Amino acid sequence: MEKDKIQSFDRGSALSIFSSDRKEDLIALALAFILALVIYLID
Amino acid sequence: MLAIWYFTSNGLLAPVLEHLGAGKDYRYTSELKAIPLYFGIVATVLGVWHWLGQHKEGGFDFYSSSIAGGMFILLITMLVRWFIAPEIAVLSIGLGEVGDTGKHIHELLGLNYVVLGIVAGIIIVNVFKVPVWAKNGVRLSRLGLKTGVILLGALYSAAELKNLGGLSIIMIGFFVLGSVGIVLWIGARRNIPNSMGGVLSAGMGVCGVSATVAVAPVVQAKPVEIAYTIGTILIWGVACMFLFPIIGNLLNMSYVQFGAWAGTGILNSAQVAGAALAYQPDGIETLMVAEIFNITRVLILPIIVLWLAMWYVKREGNATTQVNVGHVVLAKFPVFVLGFILMFALSTTGVFAPANHYQGKYFGNTVEQGFKLENLLQAEQIAILKADANKIQNADYREAYNRLIKNNKIMSIADDTVVRGLINAKTLSPDANKILASAHQSVRHTAKKIDNFRQWITWLFAFGLVGLGMQITVGSMKQAGGEPAIIGGVVGFIKAALSLVVVMLLVSETV
Repeated sequence: MEKDKIQSFDRGSALSIFSSDRKEDLIALALAFILALVIYLID
Repeated sequence: MLAIWYFTSNGLLAPVLEHLGAGKDYRYTSELKAIPLYFGIVATVLGVWHWLGQHKEGGFDFYSSSIAGGMFILLITMLVRWFIAPEIAVLSIGLGEVGDTGKHIHELLGLNYVVLGIVAGIIIVNVFKVPVWAKNGVRLSRLGLKTGVILLGALYSAAELKNLGGLSIIMIGFFVLGSVGIVLWIGARRNIPNSMGGVLSAGMGVCGVSATVAVAPVVQAKPVEIAYTIGTILIWGVACMFLFPIIGNLLNMSYVQFGAWAGTGILNSAQVAGAALAYQPDGIETLMVAEIFNITRVLILPIIVLWLAMWYVKREGNATTQVNVGHVVLAKFPVFVLGFILMFALSTTGVFAPANHYQGKYFGNTVEQGFKLENLLQAEQIAILKADANKIQNADYREAYNRLIKNNKIMSIADDTVVRGLINAKTLSPDANKILASAHQSVRHTAKKIDNFRQWITWLFAFGLVGLGMQITVGSMKQAGGEPAIIGGVVGFIKAALSLVVVMLLVSETV
């Protein structure tokens, strides 16, 4: 049961809340393009 | 945050802001009237939800818990940027200029909001400790920096990237491959294990922690060797982050020179950004140059992984176990760099600013493009220009100059470049130079979207760097030691010193 819980979500590392650099990169990618879209639409 | 906004909006902070302006207009008034309000509302709503809501332990609960910490970092960033850094500037100005440098202490030491924010982070984590509820937010700092780097891609024009790209490939190629080679060479002479030499060479040569982690499986590095390498990189990187801006100020380096030096000489991506923003806290030209160098370095990572894999197999022979190098390269390749390239590609289509923009400003000499008719040169100004025409020897320059006189405005980007060259050369009289400067200004227009990108990028980097400060613990730096620290120190120093010499001798172009 405890093992299942650990596997259900990853608490990341000391440097990042994400389970891997790749995941952090992809979230940064999504965030950056959302911000770019906001800047594009607002002005 | 809401209190800062309330006190500013009601004028209660007016005497404080006047004091912090030191005789000039306080530069952050417009930020104070908007940013703390928006983020204050977000922080309050999320805070109430966290406090009163029912939460089920799981992925969503975990990720959303980081927002409180993010707001904590943001609050520290705001306090440092808007109040602490300006107060230190006021105190420093009060002490007068240092010798005949023409600069005040805070300018020479780079005591601006970036450096002070990182220092605040270091003090908080090592002296007061980060509050438990904010700890997850501190681990968002790298996300902030990576998002900032991707957005930065929107700010370059093709010409800027071409100029900087060529320069960075030459410099980074030389210094990265050189550092990796020197670490391996010294390591072999001092008889450190090949796995230690391999992982240290990647860390010192490419891009710090990411490279160390990427190369570790290829050279079968042990956890203790990875820890040694990261500790060495961290100590060296933090020292560089504070020392580079001071040296840059003493040598009066241009933004391009400093950006090129920081991007080459500093090991870790975050510390490159820290040094660049510390050198130029109220603009991002230095950051733009430094990041191009940094990204070029990151792109060299696969080559280094392949090199070290072959080197390791050659030295260890049969002792190596099978590692799929191709898989390691693919798995560890930093995807956010592709995001930067994608954002640049998107920007070149002209969605954010005309594609021919230069540092966010674009050329336009028609009313539709933003040119104001009252900026057409007047008869008396034309007379002054005509009187100086014979001082221009170059035939092409004289043609461009005559076109300006004939049309009362600059007619093309090429002519504008000539005009800028004439202004910088100072061959004409001061009055004529002033007229050329105003003609140049009137055809250069600020791209509003680019300005907004700059604002977001500045805040994302400031956020990331204060968070980075909160990750610099004395314990993590104590990991460094022994042979790796000595070799790392020697190679780091050689790289920083040599790249400084090369930059000072060879780099003079503008972005």
